[in-house]
Amino acid sequence: MGEGGLTQLAAVVASPAPPRTRRSPARGRRRKPILPRVAHFASFGAPGVLVYLCFVLAPILISFGYSLTNYNPFNPPVKFVGLENYRLLFTDEQFLIALKVTTILTVIVVVVPNVLGLGVALLLDRKGWLYNALRSVFFTPVILSSVVVSIVWSRLLDDRGPLNDLLRALGIEHPPGWLSDPDVALYSVASIVCWQMLGFCVVVYLAGLQGVPAELLEAAEIDGAGPLRRFRAVTWPLLAPSLTINTVVLLISAFKTYDYVKVITNGGPGSGATATIAFDVLQTGFDSNHVGYASAMAVLMLVIVAVVTTVVLNFLRRREVDL
Amino acid sequence: MTRSWLRPAVALLVGAVFFVPLYLVLTNVFKQGDLIAKDPASLPLPPTLANIHAVLTRPDGLFWVSLANSVVVTVLSILVLTVLSAMLGHYLARSGKRWTKVLTLVLLAGLMIPPQVILIPITDVLRVTHLMATLQGLILFNVGYYVPFGVFVFTGFIRGVPVELEEAALLDGASRMQVFWRVVFPLLRPATASVLIFLGVWIWNDFIDPLIILGPSQGTTITTGIYRSIGQYQADLGSVFALMFLATLPVLIFYLALQKQFVKGLTGGATKG
Repeated sequence: MGEGGLTQLAAVVASPAPPRTRRSPARGRRRKPILPRVAHFASFGAPGVLVYLCFVLAPILISFGYSLTNYNPFNPPVKFVGLENYRLLFTDEQFLIALKVTTILTVIVVVVPNVLGLGVALLLDRKGWLYNALRSVFFTPVILSSVVVSIVWSRLLDDRGPLNDLLRALGIEHPPGWLSDPDVALYSVASIVCWQMLGFCVVVYLAGLQGVPAELLEAAEIDGAGPLRRFRAVTWPLLAPSLTINTVVLLISAFKTYDYVKVITNGGPGSGATATIAFDVLQTGFDSNHVGYASAMAVLMLVIVAVVTTVVLNFLRRREVDL
Repeated sequence: MTRSWLRPAVALLVGAVFFVPLYLVLTNVFKQGDLIAKDPASLPLPPTLANIHAVLTRPDGLFWVSLANSVVVTVLSILVLTVLSAMLGHYLARSGKRWTKVLTLVLLAGLMIPPQVILIPITDVLRVTHLMATLQGLILFNVGYYVPFGVFVFTGFIRGVPVELEEAALLDGASRMQVFWRVVFPLLRPATASVLIFLGVWIWNDFIDPLIILGPSQGTTITTGIYRSIGQYQADLGSVFALMFLATLPVLIFYLALQKQFVKGLTGGATKG
């Protein structure tokens, strides 16, 4: 799953959280001597915090530091250039294309699995072996490695692959170059990501549907509400938390799409038709060795992810309360 | 008036379309190499184990080396992660101080950090500590990167576990460590299961981090092994499919065995009220 499948926030929003119990009233009031408290933190808290500090927080600060320089390991000396890298980014054709590619990909990957996932979940929301089996079918891609998914789909969508063979057999003489046409490739890659993420949305929506009380639906039916009306008035509002989970998870994982691009198109075809920001960061940093410039890109990426995720999460949470 | 055949028929049809790529893997694993390029969608008749055999007996042992690396990295990462994040989660959940609340937020912010943002400096950090291109380096990185997830799951769960048990044990003279491992940790089994399952699958399937941290020459995990093999055996598609199949098998078995917990961990928060 790594990047492609579930993001961390996935299960995060959804992890088991039993009801809070009351703290015993005595806590917090008695002050313990400092030494045992330090020892307590050192043994329980410090190891985890330390690794996080070394491998996440410090690297972010280092990235920011790099982004203010022209650092290139093969082209010393390192010079401080202030915000020059950031200024350059906004006039850099390639970066602006990557920004566009990432935006298109993210919008598709947030919307399509959400919509189709809801549809499939409504379809499978029944008891019986058939529906159980189909649930497993839809969920299987979620646990596959994005590398495996990428390779399989590139075979399937190859210019001489099974899909185009089928289209030719149906009489279409020049089927699209799904992965070789720069105008189409991005949508093909987006569809592949959607295919892998669909099962995740299905499972989350199915769990949400299980939480819709049957009495409510029956009451609405007695009141004369048709199926569409029942869905809009009863089911959909109760699915608000599922929508939140799916949207946030899809958003975070779509934004950092790298594996699929690396394996399927390596950024192409043409000049960066499928190159996302995540892909460009590593390409610029490791292949072209413009570490300073790549770091500016990375920092900007982090800012965009943080802002967009926070705004979307807050919006969806407020919506949950309102409904 | 209800058309009872309609729903299963539509469900079956949608499922079948969705299943096509999975079918493509399954059928080509057991098909003769030359037939894969010529007729990838046909049934594997007669079925052959030659592809699997070829991957298992490759002279350079790519599959076995990658498998060993993936097992070591995944198992050690999730064990260390469970211990560290359970203890840290316990510390954060039980301490009502303001600074620990801030610390919790800082840790949770780590949940949305894309790995690309930190990978460039990570390679420098690892190079300085002589851990670049080693399994230890990759494991340490995994621990740091996924600790927020573990902490999130454990903190949430521990808040729901009554504190009186621990206080009683402390009054009886047990040390904090003893209390945590003997009294608290056994109560955390659902949370531990979530952490082990999710992190296990993520780390097993991880591609970008082993690709960069283990580097091009220093061994591969199962995913980077597959990636490298598509360049090598452009002609031998049978081996690529067999390698993908064998690489997925452990996760698939893991998933089928723990299907219930999987879905529970995924959807615990999906219902309202």
